[in-house]
Amino acid sequence: MLYLLPHAIDRAAMRSPEREAIRYAGTSLSYAALVERADRLAGLLRAEGVRRGDRVGIHAGKGIAAAVALYGIMKAGAAYVPLDPSAPPARQAFIVRDCGIRHVVTEPPRLSALRLLLAEGVDVASVVGVDAPAPNVRGFSWTDVDAHPVVAHDPDLVEMDLAYVLYTSGSTGTPKGVAHSHRSALAFARVAADTYGFRPDDRLSNHAPLHFDLSTMDYFSSALAGATTVIIPDAHTRVPASYAALIETERLTVLYAVPLALTHLLLHGALDKRDLSSVRWVLFGGEPFPTRYLRALMAALPGARFSNVYGPTEVNGVTYWVVPPLAPDDDAPIPIGQPYQNVEVRIAGDDGAVVADGEPGELLVRTPTMMRGYWGRPDLDSRVFWKHQVVGHFEDVYLRTGDLVRRREDGLLEFHGRKDRQIKARGYRVELDEVEVALGSHPAVESAAAYGVPDEDGSLHIEATVTLRDGRHVTPDALRTHVAGSLPRYAVPVRLDVVPAMPRTSTGKVDRRALAARARERAPTAEGT
Amino acid sequence: MREQLARYIAADLLNQHDRVIDEDEDLLASGLLDSLSMMSLIHHIEQDLQIDVPAEDVTIENFQSLRAIDAYLDRRGV
Repeated sequence: MLYLLPHAIDRAAMRSPEREAIRYAGTSLSYAALVERADRLAGLLRAEGVRRGDRVGIHAGKGIAAAVALYGIMKAGAAYVPLDPSAPPARQAFIVRDCGIRHVVTEPPRLSALRLLLAEGVDVASVVGVDAPAPNVRGFSWTDVDAHPVVAHDPDLVEMDLAYVLYTSGSTGTPKGVAHSHRSALAFARVAADTYGFRPDDRLSNHAPLHFDLSTMDYFSSALAGATTVIIPDAHTRVPASYAALIETERLTVLYAVPLALTHLLLHGALDKRDLSSVRWVLFGGEPFPTRYLRALMAALPGARFSNVYGPTEVNGVTYWVVPPLAPDDDAPIPIGQPYQNVEVRIAGDDGAVVADGEPGELLVRTPTMMRGYWGRPDLDSRVFWKHQVVGHFEDVYLRTGDLVRRREDGLLEFHGRKDRQIKARGYRVELDEVEVALGSHPAVESAAAYGVPDEDGSLHIEATVTLRDGRHVTPDALRTHVAGSLPRYAVPVRLDVVPAMPRTSTGKVDRRALAARARERAPTAEGT
Repeated sequence: MREQLARYIAADLLNQHDRVIDEDEDLLASGLLDSLSMMSLIHHIEQDLQIDVPAEDVTIENFQSLRAIDAYLDRRGV
C-alpha cells in the first residue's frame, strides 16, 4: 500500500529498478540506486538518533544529494526542512531554532556557507555530507553514507505524520513553517499525476528550488508515475538560452515553473533556434502569467498543452485551468480556473457565509492537500483554519487562503488580489509587513512603507520609502545592506527612498498606494508600452 | 571593461561596494547572481556599454565568470 512519500520510489524501484529516477548535469540515479542511497542515509540518521517526527534540515543546492536527502530523511521517519543556502545565515538560524533542527544533510560545496550557519550558535548535533563541519558537531561524508549498512527498520509512520516543513514569509517579521503530512503531499502528487496523465516515459523538469513548494510536484508526481525528474542546475535557471538548450538535449516533456521564468524563456531563450517538440505540458503557478506572454509562449511551443496551477503553499494546488487557444487581441487575465478533483471551494465573506453568485469574496478550500498547520504556531492556525459543520455535528476544516476571487458566469474562478499585504515578488511570496519590520529594525529608521511595483516582464519587485529619526542618518545602500542581513534576496527592496515625511491618507494612515503609484510612474511597465 | 563590470556587479547588483569578485569566480552556480541580476547585467551591457547581446549568446559558457564575459565581449569585437 502506498501511503508515505518514499513508498512511491520503493514501488517504482520494484517495477522498473533501472529506470532513471533523477538526472542532474549529465549524471543520473536509477530508482534502485535512489532507494538504496536513501535507505543508507536513513540508517545513518537513525543511528544518529533521528526518530519519527523529528525535523532534519537540507542545506544543499539543487542536485542529486538534495534528492537523496529528502527521501532518506523521510525514510528515517523525520520531516525534511529545506534551508535556502542563499538566504542570510541569521534567517537560516531562525528556522533551525524555530523547528528544533538537530541534524542537517549537506554537500561539500556548501561547507563554508554551512559554517556561517553553525557560527550563529544553533544547536546542531550532526551533519551528514561533510566529515568535519565544525568543532563539537559530528560529521559524516557521503562516502560514510554509502558505506552505512541498510538496516531494516519500520519507522512506524502513518500518513498523517509530517513529511516536510516549508518556511515562507511571515507578517510579524519572522518566517513561518508550513508543515505538510505525507497524506497532504501525496494527495496533491496523485491529483497532479492523474490530471496531467504523467507516464513512465515522462521527463519532468525540476526548475524551482527545494524550499519552494513547486518542487514537490516535480519530485513526487514523477515518482508516482515512475517517471524521471530532471533537476535544472541553478545556473540554467538564470540563463534562459541555456535552459532552452537543456530542454532540447534532455528531451523534457513536462515543464513546471513560475510565469516569470517562462517569460524569460520566451523573451531571452532564443527558442526559434531550438527543437522543443518533446514538451507536452507546460505548467505554471505562483503568480499571474501576463496573458500576452502566455499566448506568445503557446505559439512558440505549438505541441504543448498549458495549465495554470493555483494554490498557496498551505494547500499545494487546489484549482487549475487548461488554457484553450487564446484570442489574439484579448489580454484579459488568465483565470485561476476550476477546482481539481476532490477539492471543495467556497467563496465567502469574513463570517464564512457564501457570497452572492458572481460577487468577489475570500477563497476558502476544503481539500486533502491541506497542511497540518504552521509549525509551533497554533495562533496562526486558528486564524487560517475555518471550522464548519458540513454534515451532522462533524467538524470540517477549510483553509482561508487570503485570496479574493470571483466566480465567472462560465464557472471559472478569477483572482482579485489579496485580503492582506502579501505579494508575489518575482514568483516568491513576501509579506510586505515583514519587509517593513526589517527596515524598522535599523536604529535610524522612524517609519517604513514597502510596496510592490510592476516590472517590465509582468512580475512585481519591491520598493520602499522610509523616514528617519531626528538627527539620524543612513544611506539607502546601507539600509539595503542592513535588511539583506535578515531577508531573503528577493524580499530586499530594489529601490529605497528616504523622505522627510510620509504621504498620508485623509484618515492619517501612511498612503502606500500613493507611494506605489509614484514608483510606477517612474518606471514605465510593459503594461503601459 | 573587466573592472567596470566587476564594479557594476558588486555595487549595483550585490549592493556590496567593497566586494571583490575574482575573475574566475562562478557568478551563476554560487547563487551570486539570480535571474533578476542576470537580466540587469545584460541590460547594463546593452544600454550603458552599447553592446548588442543577442539572446542566443546569453549562455552559461559566456556568462559564468568575469573572465568568460570578457572573452565573449572580445569575440564580439569590443
